[in-house]
Amino acid sequence: MPTLRALLEGVTLAFDAMRGAKLRSALTVLGVVIGVSTVMVMASLVEGIKSQIFATVENASPQTFYVVRFFSSVPLNPDRLPAEVRIRKVLDERDVEAIRRADVIRHAGLWVQIPLRMEFRGERSQNLMVYGADNMLLEAQGGTLLRGRFFSTAELAAGTPVVVIETEVADRLFGRLDPMGEVIRIGGKSFTIIGIYQKPANIFQPPGAEDGGIVPARAAKENFRYDETNSLFITVLAERGISVAEAKDAAITALRVSRGIRPGDPNSFDVITQDQILDTIDSLTSAFFLVMIALSSVALLVGGIGVMAIMTVSVTDRTREIGVRKALGATRREILWQFLVEAGTLTGFGGLLGIGFGLAAGALLKTVLGLQSGPPLWSAVVAASASVGIGVVFGIIPATRAARMDPVEALRYE
Amino acid sequence: MTDQAIIRLAGITREYLMGGERIRALAGIDLEIGRNEYVAIMGPSGSGKSTMMNVLGCLDTPSSGQYWLNGHEVSRMADDDLARIRNREIGFVFQTFNLLPRASALSNVELPLVYAGTGARERRSRAEEALARVGLAERMHHRPNELSGGQRQRVAIARALVNRPSILLADEPTGNLDSATSVEIMRVFGELHAEGQTVVLVTHEPDIAEHAHRVVVLRDGRIDTDRRVEHPVGAASAVA
Repeated sequence: MPTLRALLEGVTLAFDAMRGAKLRSALTVLGVVIGVSTVMVMASLVEGIKSQIFATVENASPQTFYVVRFFSSVPLNPDRLPAEVRIRKVLDERDVEAIRRADVIRHAGLWVQIPLRMEFRGERSQNLMVYGADNMLLEAQGGTLLRGRFFSTAELAAGTPVVVIETEVADRLFGRLDPMGEVIRIGGKSFTIIGIYQKPANIFQPPGAEDGGIVPARAAKENFRYDETNSLFITVLAERGISVAEAKDAAITALRVSRGIRPGDPNSFDVITQDQILDTIDSLTSAFFLVMIALSSVALLVGGIGVMAIMTVSVTDRTREIGVRKALGATRREILWQFLVEAGTLTGFGGLLGIGFGLAAGALLKTVLGLQSGPPLWSAVVAASASVGIGVVFGIIPATRAARMDPVEALRYE
Repeated sequence: MTDQAIIRLAGITREYLMGGERIRALAGIDLEIGRNEYVAIMGPSGSGKSTMMNVLGCLDTPSSGQYWLNGHEVSRMADDDLARIRNREIGFVFQTFNLLPRASALSNVELPLVYAGTGARERRSRAEEALARVGLAERMHHRPNELSGGQRQRVAIARALVNRPSILLADEPTGNLDSATSVEIMRVFGELHAEGQTVVLVTHEPDIAEHAHRVVVLRDGRIDTDRRVEHPVGAASAVA
């Protein structure tokens, strides 16, 4: 059977049938258009947000990596740590010193991140991420100092209660007042504002609270309670021109020597590079995004059920035509094929329209939300094939009914 | 079976179950129709005429008995084989024309060739030829609703002829036409018969049946009479 020719004839026939029943066809097509555009808009959002996250992580210095007590993609309950975590020593200044001595390391600092409330004259925030760090924080994690200054050597050494706060938080707490030089309460302790910074652009916050501010590491350790597994980490910056992999190896060696780990024994700490962070984010978000896309596919399913209903009506409507075709020699397969191609053409046409709408809506979202990428090409390909597929799958039942009709009955049908 | 018989029915019965009751539409038919015969099948309603037409047209299969059509035993064939037989051996002409409303006359006539798997170019030229044969060369691109009843039936005849079937099977072909147009259509059948076409006509109108050269009358599912027509209507004009 010359299939391509039969296909083309089927498509022509399908367009004829569509012209013959305009309203009915338009309704079928509409269901598919809505379904396809929904899936495409979802895909745009998903891709846009994902690339946003990745861009953010990559914005942070590519020279940075972290040493933690135990790497876990979700925070551990500090009161019920698993044995494999408990046997590991808590990170301390000796570890930092050991890493700092390695010659490919530019900087190492024992930092903390603690969720705390910030308060100014009765205005109180939610829990915000407060970093106990040093002047290298912005270089390690991205972001810019907008006003004021970072910490002096003396403030770092003494743990002076001073803070560089995040600009959005400053706006929220101070409104039109100038925050510079004001004293705010962080976790109930007083800190003087010496600077304002802006965190790196990111519409989708990676796991954890929003940024609140940065205080000297020593001030954080002396003023706040924090848990030593989730909050404490060593930030390491590789020497310029040195690859992260090389610096990471050097840091691991230095730590093993300093902690007296024998060759062959496992590390009693974990090292995370940005690649691992990206992988973790990817695996965390992928599942979530898959669910989003699966949910939006329900719209496509609804379109498919519409196709089934309308094809069923169409088959009944054209009983006589089916009878004539059978009398003239159409086999069951040829009738089945005719109606499947018709259903596929109908929904494929809807799919094309839906892709048009989806692309437009995706482009609009890109502008409105400031996403970095528009609707991905794969979503158009998937949407197009899915819409044809839906027509064929949901067309099977009505088409089979048409194919099985008895020619005598069909010819007698009024 | 003689060489000349294009249709041979032997002990054909057809029974239906209707509301738990067994109805015998055909109660044992033996019939031979030779090549280039022109036969009218008649009978009052309920005589089994329609069932006979469906069986002859391979739209329906008999409950028992044997049916040979042009050398094929079709009484035991499955659906799709019957479809092939209908496509190659039978040209249908219906009372209500049964043209596809959205297709042009040409596309309608091409349809049997589509199912025969004929290539597009040959399909077109044969369809044009068939339409010219019934005098519609000028109206090939018109749709059925742009044609008169007589013209529609001519399109249907062209469609029936286009795949060169062994029998032309017409079911009340003039039932929806006025008498002048009926005469015109019956003349076409006469001409086709004169050119060698085997024609089987199912009708309940005696004056239409008189165009045929042989009339078979059914009653209660059996052949009641089977007679030659001495002077068929329009036979002379067909020869001329």
